[in-house]
Amino acid sequence: MQFKRLALLSAGLLILAIATATQAKPDPKGSPDQFVLDTATEALAVLKQDDAAKGGDLTRINQLVDQYILPYVDFQKTTRLATGPHWRQATPQQQEALTQAFRATLIRTYSGALPRLDKNTVITLLPSRYDPTATDVVVRSQISQVNGQPVRVDYRLEKTSEGWKIFDFNVEGIWLIENYRGQFAEQINQNGIDGLIQALNARSR
Amino acid sequence: MKNKTLCRVTTLLTLVTMLAGCATSGPRDPRDPWEGMNRAVYKFNDTLDRSLLRPVARAYTDLTPEPVRRCIYNIFNNLDDVWSGTNSFLQGRGHDFANTLGRFLFNTTLGVGGCFDVASANNARKIRNDFGITLGVWGLGHGPYLVLPFLGPSSVRDGTGRIADWAGDPLAIHRVNDVPWRNSLLGLKVVTTRASLLRASDMVDRTALDPYSFVRDAYLQRRGAMVLGQKFTDEANLPYYDENEDPDHMPPVAAPINRSVQP
Repeated sequence: MQFKRLALLSAGLLILAIATATQAKPDPKGSPDQFVLDTATEALAVLKQDDAAKGGDLTRINQLVDQYILPYVDFQKTTRLATGPHWRQATPQQQEALTQAFRATLIRTYSGALPRLDKNTVITLLPSRYDPTATDVVVRSQISQVNGQPVRVDYRLEKTSEGWKIFDFNVEGIWLIENYRGQFAEQINQNGIDGLIQALNARSR
Repeated sequence: MKNKTLCRVTTLLTLVTMLAGCATSGPRDPRDPWEGMNRAVYKFNDTLDRSLLRPVARAYTDLTPEPVRRCIYNIFNNLDDVWSGTNSFLQGRGHDFANTLGRFLFNTTLGVGGCFDVASANNARKIRNDFGITLGVWGLGHGPYLVLPFLGPSSVRDGTGRIADWAGDPLAIHRVNDVPWRNSLLGLKVVTTRASLLRASDMVDRTALDPYSFVRDAYLQRRGAMVLGQKFTDEANLPYYDENEDPDHMPPVAAPINRSVQP
């Protein structure tokens, strides 16, 4: 009896070990390369299988982003850098509202690409060149599909006390934060922080 | 014929310079001193695009089977590779030059005249290139941002580069002697190109706060990255996001990142 239970337990552990080996959990304390690869691969695997997300169900996409992407991203930093020097003038409530509004905008931007994911979509790392002691690094990768050109995507990470966090990325050389900085500044100058929040929310409705 | 076109280009450039003088809204982004004029041209292009080009591109996408569209797109892309490769050579990027040359030979033969992009399928990535980038690699800055009528985002450097592209590309469509053929090919290329950008323009529509500056900033970033080539993710070339400038004394638009352009 005892033996049988033990056998069952070890079988269970074995299955668990295999499962984790095939899908490594992203480890923010590991190397930035591996961390990005695991994060992106896991998110891609989940999104590929989720018909609701691929069909454009924003509630579902938001859930998945909360679970599989946001833990590895310092999104407040992304928003703060896009806002620039104006960030410090904003109240904590405005900062929070702005972060949420920007997040919704980005989800809307990239959810348009989800229907194109299929089982042949693969993420591969390109050789990165960074100092092993650096705390601000870029991990280079490309997303390949069977039809069409591979797309170059690079991630910028910062080492925090909790390990690596992604805070910016570029697609074919276009950095996310830099591409929003000008528009953010324009809006803030015309209509203030609240105007910017409103404009973002109006776009993502 | 050539003189006539050259004459047109000169007239256009003169017009551009004159209009630039009347741009009154005041420079906001130092990279875009002619914003007033640029916005007007942008609006013209956008209207034309929405009323004519986009509907045609959409109809083309709906009516033509995907493999056919891909084949046509690939053939034009393959022809472009000759001039792209030439520019890689001029830039001293021997590796890119060899890659692009290999792509062209491989796709032209095994890819049946470029219809199948077999090179990309074998991990020989397309390296887009033109003479504007070559000028950049040679050390020329992009100069003021410029929106060209019909052609879209550009800069003084890249606009000049376009003239060289037009004159230099040995496989450019304007070299076709038969007029009906030339015009049909040109039309097909325009529609194919526009169709390949439908998703991108839909995305800009969905998300940009100000489509004009969204496109401008993306254009300048993308071109900057192309000039830097492999070096664009080097630490020295990463964007620096200043948070500490005094908001009361800063220029209205955050200062651009001054990427040093070193070949």
